Amino acid sequence: MRNVDLHHGASSDVGLVRKVNEDSYLVAPPVFVVADGMGGHSGGDVASQMVVEEFQRLAAVYDPSRGAEQVADTFARAQARIIDFGNAHRAMTPGWHAGTTAVVAVLVDDNGVTKWLLANLGDSRIYRITDGSLEQISVDHSVVQELIDAGQITVEEAATHPERHVITRALGSPEGIQPDFFLLPLGSVERLLLCSDGVTGMIEDKEIEDILESVADPRDAADRLVRAAVAAGGRDNATAIVVDVVGLVKDATYDSQRQLESLESKLGGRL
Amino acid sequence: MSTDARFATGDWYAVVGDHVTVLLPGSQRDRVAALWDLADAGATADAVLDALVSGGLSTLDHVALVAHGDDSTRVIVRGAPTATVASTSGEEIVSATAGTAWAERLVTGVTSIRVTLTGDGAADHALTAGIARVSVVEFGTPSAAPSAPVEEPVEEPVAPVVAAEPDPEPEPQPEPEPVAVEPEPEAAPAYAEPEPVAAAPMSFGEPEEDPTPTGETPVVEAPVVDDWSDRDGQTVTGPPVPDFDRPPIPGQEMAPEVVSQPVASLVFSTGDVVLVDRTVLVGRAPEARRFASHDQPHVVTVASPQQEISSTHLEIRPGAGADHGSAIATDLGSTNGTVLAQPGLEPEELKAGIAVSLIPGAVLDLGDGVTIQVTNP
Repeated sequence: MRNVDLHHGASSDVGLVRKVNEDSYLVAPPVFVVADGMGGHSGGDVASQMVVEEFQRLAAVYDPSRGAEQVADTFARAQARIIDFGNAHRAMTPGWHAGTTAVVAVLVDDNGVTKWLLANLGDSRIYRITDGSLEQISVDHSVVQELIDAGQITVEEAATHPERHVITRALGSPEGIQPDFFLLPLGSVERLLLCSDGVTGMIEDKEIEDILESVADPRDAADRLVRAAVAAGGRDNATAIVVDVVGLVKDATYDSQRQLESLESKLGGRL
Repeated sequence: MSTDARFATGDWYAVVGDHVTVLLPGSQRDRVAALWDLADAGATADAVLDALVSGGLSTLDHVALVAHGDDSTRVIVRGAPTATVASTSGEEIVSATAGTAWAERLVTGVTSIRVTLTGDGAADHALTAGIARVSVVEFGTPSAAPSAPVEEPVEEPVAPVVAAEPDPEPEPQPEPEPVAVEPEPEAAPAYAEPEPVAAAPMSFGEPEEDPTPTGETPVVEAPVVDDWSDRDGQTVTGPPVPDFDRPPIPGQEMAPEVVSQPVASLVFSTGDVVLVDRTVLVGRAPEARRFASHDQPHVVTVASPQQEISSTHLEIRPGAGADHGSAIATDLGSTNGTVLAQPGLEPEELKAGIAVSLIPGAVLDLGDGVTIQVTNP
């Protein structure tokens, strides 16, 4: 794989309401992870940390040409650990649980071409900046997203829907896991954002776009996003990772040189 | 000494294994998951200690460790925690002197140990193998106050919920006012607390309910899922809806994601040859979305200096149902469209989103001089 230079920044805050930060994140280029634990007391924070630890282990032996396979294996290992952890508690207390969402971004080698492989489980999100505008890549595994997809509610109604916190897939779920994968060309992502719903639930996409567009340093951008989420109420743990691919020259959108040559030859010019 | 253990809720972590219990401040959560793996696997005190200090002592200001051996008990405290160890030879308080790494005792004939981390609450919740958030932990028979029955604290958080029922006894009581007024102040503290410290005993306080020892893995029945709610009152999980995320193209049966035999071979004007044994995406910079790890599409990038080809322009995949065995092409809403020339038919423009079955010999023109010829594999 061609060596790609990544600049990145990450930030996390417990917020103003919770006492425990159940979010965990990993910055181990080219592996990036945000996990948002659930389960309240002593379950969620440990579950999200287990995901991060498994990806930390992956980062040490990561083979970009087997990216999708290795990420899927890592999800499976994290799932097994969280299930074991949950079962040990459930043996004593039926109904006890631990679970976590996860969004993952890794660089992969797709037949010699470096690309972004993204993966999602739950309602943490992956966004990109492309052509100066924000686009959500991941599709939430949530009840409201399914209602939106089915055309039953609008995106605006989803923000206040009573079931907006109900997610349909997560690590630690007894039904097993089914992550979504996304494969994007490197050049189609000017800036990548991985964040927990403590960011997206507190501030509008427009504000996220403004911050990602206006703050050049990814470390500052991640800080600003998390601080904005806390300033907006901080009702949940907020975590953001911002990644820039630097030194990558985008393909020319218009091949003027080639057209010039073509024109000159048609006009019997100086070629 | 019996290994019967209790705790009072707090913000320290108790990582409780069969032999070793480690107590860490809330700020040390990074170490908790790894230690739990060790403790749960039945690691010895030395192995746990090894893992504990592997991250360096300078970042570990406070910690306590209690390890139960066959005939002796080992107690280590560093920083704030203090341990009161009662044994057949008397009572001793173990605490680290400032400037030392830690204080350590190996005590035989221990009857009880009380480790105080923050505060001095009554340790009246049963502590079992796992992870708990604690302020005080006790092992063995308590020396001072008799321990409250285990069931007592369990009822506490439940009781206000019952009391919060709007009309507990409206039928026998014609005037509901005194009943309706009373539950409110009782219910308020349970809900005013945003962080469910009070809910913790629900996780740990009912050992009698399920006598299965830790380590055994009971089958998790489906109803448990319904109870899979976040105690923080925020994110919860519902059952997955597996069929939802891949809506089929209208009028088209769902295709298998990957077929064992390729249904066609695509010969690109660029010289690439691609077998259609799964979804093939063609474009100037194609993006593949929402696939599973086992059905990653083939992504074919073609140069388009005049920008006539869209970034993700065309999809070709194995057909299903009536189209089984042939390849199906769908224009994905490209800007400049796709022209299909089937053998013996007039060339036609593909309609965006409408799938068309390809027959061998068909030629797809994406623009910018890029064509794809469909042949038998």
